Amino acid sequence: MCILCGEFVTRIHWTEKHAEDKARASIDAGAKDENRRNRRRERVRRAAVTNEVLRHYGLRVSDWSGTKYVLRDGKGRSTLVQDLGSLWPAAQKLAGRPLDPLDPALQAALRGASNGAAPATGS
Amino acid sequence: MLVNEFGKVGLDHHLLVRADEKTVLLEHGCVCCTTREDLVGALLDLLDEEGKGGIASLDRVVVETTGLADPAPILFTVFSHPVLQHHYHVDLVISTVDAVNGELHLDRNPESTKQVATADAVVLTKTDIAEPGGIQALRARLRGINPSARMLEAPFGEIDPEELLRPTAGWSPDESHSGRDPDANRSTPATEALMTEDGDVRHVSRTRSTSLTFDGPVDWAAFGTWLSMLLYARGEDVLRVKGLLDVGEAGPVLLNGVQHIVHPPDHLGEWPDEDRRSRIIFITRGVDSGELLVSLEAFRGIIGAGPRLLEANAPV
Repeated sequence: MCILCGEFVTRIHWTEKHAEDKARASIDAGAKDENRRNRRRERVRRAAVTNEVLRHYGLRVSDWSGTKYVLRDGKGRSTLVQDLGSLWPAAQKLAGRPLDPLDPALQAALRGASNGAAPATGS
Repeated sequence: MLVNEFGKVGLDHHLLVRADEKTVLLEHGCVCCTTREDLVGALLDLLDEEGKGGIASLDRVVVETTGLADPAPILFTVFSHPVLQHHYHVDLVISTVDAVNGELHLDRNPESTKQVATADAVVLTKTDIAEPGGIQALRARLRGINPSARMLEAPFGEIDPEELLRPTAGWSPDESHSGRDPDANRSTPATEALMTEDGDVRHVSRTRSTSLTFDGPVDWAAFGTWLSMLLYARGEDVLRVKGLLDVGEAGPVLLNGVQHIVHPPDHLGEWPDEDRRSRIIFITRGVDSGELLVSLEAFRGIIGAGPRLLEANAPV
């Protein structure tokens, strides 16, 4: 249960399953703390790599207190999403165009970014 | 065994009572769409019975669907239900293919192709009365659709249950029968548009399988970003994703997905064999191998490794 929005979260998205299970299953206090830190690190890392993709659409995502993610666009609009499963439809809505990893324009932007060129934003 | 029948009058449970300790007939037809709640109810009832000691401890539940069933919603039901997801683990999807009429079904019914694509094991039935040449052709066609599935035969309806239910740790191109088939791992256009003489298109969808590896360990978070985005955008066309992924840990991540639905990935403690390379198979409809490879190559910077087709002479 999310105490802020009252949402009953029963499903853990497959991308987060491993870290969530480990964080919840630890019994030893030391291991529990370490697994919780790993979980937070993984969430931050997930947001960072997802931002590499979202940059092309003028969007940005960040971890929100370890429970959700905040998705923002350049106009100041924002929305809360639970996981990557709900992020993509929300991102498409904010961007106003389809998001697709097979899109050549996105791929060109990613190649440009990894080659050190100025990343393309929007199109 | 949970038996589901499409017709209003169920018959199968009369035949299956003898063979099974508990047979529950799911009323009103198709598990996938109309009676998914019945499946939930039936599985919860089994848990209740087990808890009360009414039945022996549950080892395995077999859900037999109708011939028209789409396996995806059944998997979704088990993965997403708040109680079932903690008590049941989906082990195998088994599809049976009639060795006499299988080709006809694959030509005529898109459901058949999807059922083969989502299977972990394919059982050829009626091989005792089918022509040997026909069986060979059918096997080749099934391998073209799903090289990752184990293929078994059940002549006279008989099959070794232990072999049928043998657990499989992911998929290896060398493990399955397909691994020894020179045609198995290349990108295979399994179903072409077949135009009959009277102009009737028998089947228009093109199902392809693409198996690939990576040239190094992949970043699990980044791969999750790519795959979740792909499944969001093209999930309907990605009939199956299955494989072992090297994420730079002691063991691989076991990945198994059917359209939008992905099994909770298992982070294995060790590799099941000597081959420590990632190996993933995609079975797609309308998405070419080249598109997947180009996309993964573009994501190389964040995934941390680039894709390599496992079959060198594969048409890309």
